[in-house]
Amino acid sequence: MNAPPQPKPSGVASFRRKLLVAMMLVVSAATALSLFFAQRNVADAARRDLQQAFQDALASLHAVQDVRHAVLAERCRTLARKSRIHAALEDNALDLLYPSSEDELSDAMDRDDAPPREPSPYALHARFYRFLDGRGAVISPPDPAREGRLDPAEEARLALGAVPDRPQTGYLARRRGDGGEPVDEIIAMPIVSTESGDVIAALVLGFKPLELAGPGPTAAIRSGIWLDGRLHLPALSDPARAALAARIGRALAGPGRTESSFAVEVEGTPCLLFFKRLNPDSRFPPAYEVCIYPLTAAVARQRRLFWQFIGAGAVLLLGSLGASQFLATRLSAPVEQLAVDSEEAQVRRQRAEAALEVTSEELQRSARFSADASHQLKTPVTVLRAGLEELLASESLAPETREEISTLVHQTFRLTSVIEDLLLLSRMDAGRLQIEFHSVNLTPLVEGWLDDWGAQPDGLDLAVETDIPPALHVSGETRYITLIIQNLLENARKYCRPGGRVRIAARAEGPWGILTIANTGQPIPPAVREHIFERFHRGPVGENVPGHGLGLNLARELARLHRGELRLSRSDEAWTEFEVRFRLAGPAAAAEVA
Amino acid sequence: MNLRCLSLALLSLLVVPGRAAAAPAAVEGTVALPKSRAAPVMTKRYEIVAKAGVLSTYPPVAVVYLEGQFPKPASAAPQQVAQKNFAFVPALLPIEVGTRVEFPNLDDTYHNIFSYSPAKRFDLGRYRSDERPLPSVLFDTAGLVVLRCDIHEHMRGLILVLDTPYWVLTDPAGHYRLTGLPPGHHTLKVWLDSRTTLSRPVDLDPDTTLRADFP
Repeated sequence: MNAPPQPKPSGVASFRRKLLVAMMLVVSAATALSLFFAQRNVADAARRDLQQAFQDALASLHAVQDVRHAVLAERCRTLARKSRIHAALEDNALDLLYPSSEDELSDAMDRDDAPPREPSPYALHARFYRFLDGRGAVISPPDPAREGRLDPAEEARLALGAVPDRPQTGYLARRRGDGGEPVDEIIAMPIVSTESGDVIAALVLGFKPLELAGPGPTAAIRSGIWLDGRLHLPALSDPARAALAARIGRALAGPGRTESSFAVEVEGTPCLLFFKRLNPDSRFPPAYEVCIYPLTAAVARQRRLFWQFIGAGAVLLLGSLGASQFLATRLSAPVEQLAVDSEEAQVRRQRAEAALEVTSEELQRSARFSADASHQLKTPVTVLRAGLEELLASESLAPETREEISTLVHQTFRLTSVIEDLLLLSRMDAGRLQIEFHSVNLTPLVEGWLDDWGAQPDGLDLAVETDIPPALHVSGETRYITLIIQNLLENARKYCRPGGRVRIAARAEGPWGILTIANTGQPIPPAVREHIFERFHRGPVGENVPGHGLGLNLARELARLHRGELRLSRSDEAWTEFEVRFRLAGPAAAAEVA
Repeated sequence: MNLRCLSLALLSLLVVPGRAAAAPAAVEGTVALPKSRAAPVMTKRYEIVAKAGVLSTYPPVAVVYLEGQFPKPASAAPQQVAQKNFAFVPALLPIEVGTRVEFPNLDDTYHNIFSYSPAKRFDLGRYRSDERPLPSVLFDTAGLVVLRCDIHEHMRGLILVLDTPYWVLTDPAGHYRLTGLPPGHHTLKVWLDSRTTLSRPVDLDPDTTLRADFP
């Protein structure tokens, strides 16, 4: 026996590969999905944080502005109490307005020659101030050296349509000699008459805008002011500034829009841009605080997360690789076994087929040989018998010689019979024997043979019992069925003990027509029973019984050719019984014949 | 004290017609004064109030004066606007151009009288009641001069510098009578507040009292 064949490695490998690919897909999808959500989460969180930072910064800015407003309001109340201010305003002595207020406002001004003071939101470092008269028009100072210089266009932009009754915050783009455009925060404070409660004038002060307090010292936050379609953000290059200004302008195009945010790429860096109106409800032109928060931290966090997820995915993938290996081994075991089995089965089949082929060839050869041999033998036997019969015919033979020759003639008949059986068997073995199915009545065949028996002068003194229906039609060819019955009856007669009984019964049972032929005699030993149908087998009991050991084999082969069966149904001290069954003739048989 | 000032003013009113030519004319009538929510004040005390940048007296009184070509007086007697109880007394003082006005401080604290009015800008600086000589200002331009105190912002006083010797204050009901006027074609004016001055031409006949109501 060969070693069990190895299963094709490619089959299991492909199964494992498919499993691995499936797992990789699942892991990749899961990784990508969680990465997507995590990144979105991070982006949202960053946006929220920055929004909060922006709002906080704006809130602190507004708080400082409120303090400034409060300080200025107090300053204006003081001014309003001043008789000289009233006098200047009411008595048409505007030229005296600025000199009259100089004492009060001098410390609010940011003097160029003064030593730089520690910046404090509570200190007033005005760059300039102007009064608005009762109609909101700017009163030009006679000598602007003290009040801060403004060019006429700038001064005109301080004007309001009417004096405000509440503090107004505005922003003024200044034009500097070096081309820069700083933006000054301007606050217009009403001056309310302490007598009448009327707003008699307004004081407008210009400040350096408050710097937005960033959340951290390292945060590269750039903030500026969007005013009149221009973005004043010195940290940016001109084209970037112009592009952003246009973008903000578009974002503001909707009605009622006072704040918004959007992601934007500034000079190659992804940023988040927030803007919010600095001076809501102001009569000055709207100005917007614009804050650009670089998303580098968030991007770094995202990148870190990305690598973490990739790492986790890789680890997961590796793990799943191992798992898939394990699982594939576990899962593919039956598949492998199946493969092995099928391989083995295939090999076995191939071997069986080969053996079958060999056997078939051998059988063919032997069958051919038997047939040839039979043919070759029949002629000499016939010639031999003719010669012997001729000798018998001669008158000159002594009686002993005649007896001898007669025995020889008888032997030639046996030889012929053997040769014919062999010929038949060889035809069957070669598959050349075709049964032509007809309806055959068993009853007359059996009875005919029994009649022959009665005529034989053998002196066996056998008692024959029959239990045969008047007609039992089975499907088959008469001459072969006759041969079967003849062989079985001959056997029964041969092996019956002298003075014994032979019982022949026939019956129909289901689709079968069953014929049993029993005789009394020595039982067939169990060890021999399975060999009695083999060719040239002759039982130990039959050593002295004439025969050549082909009868039962021939009968069984013929019965099987008739799609029936012959078996030893009983063998004991009382009876030895053979049972042959044929298909009952009927529509089925007729159909098969057709 | 207030009474004394007023009597001084009335005295000057009586004196001026005396210097005029014979057969003087007179004008009398009623000026429709702005309605006052307060009850008529009989003490004739009033103060200066500012409303929407307009200064007027309260309760309202008007100054009726006659403008025309009159000979310049040699010199008018000095007038006084005192600071008493943190108020100018009188609160409204019509004077003729060229009159010197003294500003005695009758309070126990500093006052700093000044004016930014185009008719007269001056600043007397801080002084107390013991300041001598009495700080004074010569008003040489016709027009309204708003008196203020730099220290006490609520203090307001008006000096109406007129280019005529003929003027009179209405009573709180708006009645006036201007006598001793030179006959001829003149302009009769009524000063109501710092922004409002009514005027109408009048032909005055000798010994005749013209009736002129405003408006």
